[in-house]
Amino acid sequence: MVVLRGAGALLLALLVSAPSARAALGSIRGRVQVVREPSAAAPRPSVAALGAPRAPDAQDRRRSVVYLEVAPQRAFEDDNPARASLDQRNESFVPYVLAVRAGTTVDFPNSDRTYHNVFSLSKAKRFDLGRYGRGRSKSVRFDQPGVVRVFCDIHSHMSAFVLVFAHRYFATTDPEGRYRIDGVPPGTYTVVAWNDGQERETRSVRVGDGEAVELDFSVR
Amino acid sequence: MSRPRALVLLSLLLAPGSLEAAEPIRLGGLRLVLGGEMSGSAAETDRGFFNDSGYERNPLRLFRLSLTAEVRAGDHVAALTEVRSENLNTPRAYALYLRVRPWADEELDIQAGLIPPVFGSYGRRRYGADNPLIGEPLAYQYLTTLRADAFPASEDELLYWRGRGWLVDYPIGATAPAPGLPLVSSVEWDAGVQVRWAGERFEAAAALTQGTLSRPRVEDDNEGKQFSTRVAVRPLVGLVVGASAATGDYVADQAVDALAPPVEGRQRALGLDVEYSAGYALVRAEAVWSRWDAPTLRDDLEADGYMVEARYKLLPGFYVAARFDHVGFGDIAGSQGRAAWDAPTTRFEGGIGFSLRRNLLLKASWQRNERADGFRRQDFVAGQVLWWY
Repeated sequence: MVVLRGAGALLLALLVSAPSARAALGSIRGRVQVVREPSAAAPRPSVAALGAPRAPDAQDRRRSVVYLEVAPQRAFEDDNPARASLDQRNESFVPYVLAVRAGTTVDFPNSDRTYHNVFSLSKAKRFDLGRYGRGRSKSVRFDQPGVVRVFCDIHSHMSAFVLVFAHRYFATTDPEGRYRIDGVPPGTYTVVAWNDGQERETRSVRVGDGEAVELDFSVR
Repeated sequence: MSRPRALVLLSLLLAPGSLEAAEPIRLGGLRLVLGGEMSGSAAETDRGFFNDSGYERNPLRLFRLSLTAEVRAGDHVAALTEVRSENLNTPRAYALYLRVRPWADEELDIQAGLIPPVFGSYGRRRYGADNPLIGEPLAYQYLTTLRADAFPASEDELLYWRGRGWLVDYPIGATAPAPGLPLVSSVEWDAGVQVRWAGERFEAAAALTQGTLSRPRVEDDNEGKQFSTRVAVRPLVGLVVGASAATGDYVADQAVDALAPPVEGRQRALGLDVEYSAGYALVRAEAVWSRWDAPTLRDDLEADGYMVEARYKLLPGFYVAARFDHVGFGDIAGSQGRAAWDAPTTRFEGGIGFSLRRNLLLKASWQRNERADGFRRQDFVAGQVLWWY
């Protein structure tokens, strides 16, 4: 996952494959079909509880992220600070996977009646927001590209992913698995489909001048 | 002792251990969820038996394997169990019960079997990750000089054993030396039936069980039952205040039969627990008052234990914690005058915890114990590695 690991390889890549500034931009679009049965985390057996714990909402783990492994030069032209949100609702993180650009600030609102305690021990971003209740929100700015695994310190079954990219050439699939990456300069790219914690499939694609390329994935 | 069986448990524990969150396994119409915990703690020899909570069981020097399982059949019925091995001894079921929720949208649960304790708070959070330190609260661990199956012939004999509850020898009842009883046992759970109802801010639970707080039992050995109850309120998010009570027959038939005439004995207890958390801080306090009938003595035996503990996260994955803890005993009249029937003991434990991974925790703590009699004082430096899924 070159894009996620650092900017060094990216800089090298853009020097090699920098397209003409006058070239019309193309797009990559298609569908990611998740063939395998997605994992479904459940609360640990509540042996010490006096009653059954509340059942958390099921997460949509079929959502995938499709991205260019090595980004073109335009990756660095748009550096507007962005904002995103990862909700805590019915003891689940919503969405399960959030893809953002480096520099994005992510809000973590708590929509539950109980406390949550969002934290991550990932190398790309280590943080702990402490316990806070319903209606409150805390934020984290993600500056370093990488995969950030997010958990709740109180509810061990709660987890989510924040994928932080150094560029803007990525897309999260919709409920039908469709995605679309626009503004892609002409060139040859390696496209990765990521699902539920792993790079599941890698494909090579050539985007012509102003061309819309169809690229489907089937991940297991 | 069966080390091979413990190793089988270890294998079962490690098999799905790569999972960071339990994933249910479908078995026809059933849904199986597994969880596991492995912990090892080390400290110097406890010469004063301050931390012993059973025969050769010391939480500062303990290797524990625990496998938990929940099998659900629809929305209303589940079976739960915890099988545990300590120091690679024969794995045992510490929990094994059926949970029934008659109405799916009402938080009313009935649990029957080897069930978690209703009384207090610590007994339900004894798992390593729920304990910010390594030691256990004195009220739930410290072995007093009172036994359920043997009694002293006089007040002076009871006073003679002050501060030596880890191995007591009395002439009436069972003749072999054995450990005394804690105020509340967190080592084992009681068998019986329990009902709990929870609302948004209020929770109530009650249980009828075979043993007592001091002496949970799978099989009844005195034909008596214990009734225990707890109510808890949540006046605001992060604050829980609970009050508990219990009463039950604790004297084993073996001791009753040795008495002339046979006399039954009860344990009565009250408890109060508070937990408050906000931001990076967590504070807990708990108090237990217990009174036991003493069939061979003039007075009942009273004891109280209380503790305050706090945890504060300094950095992601890193916290500091401390607990102040005391257990005291009521006076009885011996030939030399009145004195506490066992030696009051005080403990302070302070420590740190560092998470290498979300489910891999390292703990280190320093513990000071002071006792009014017998082996009076010992300090410990302890370490613990804890892994769970």
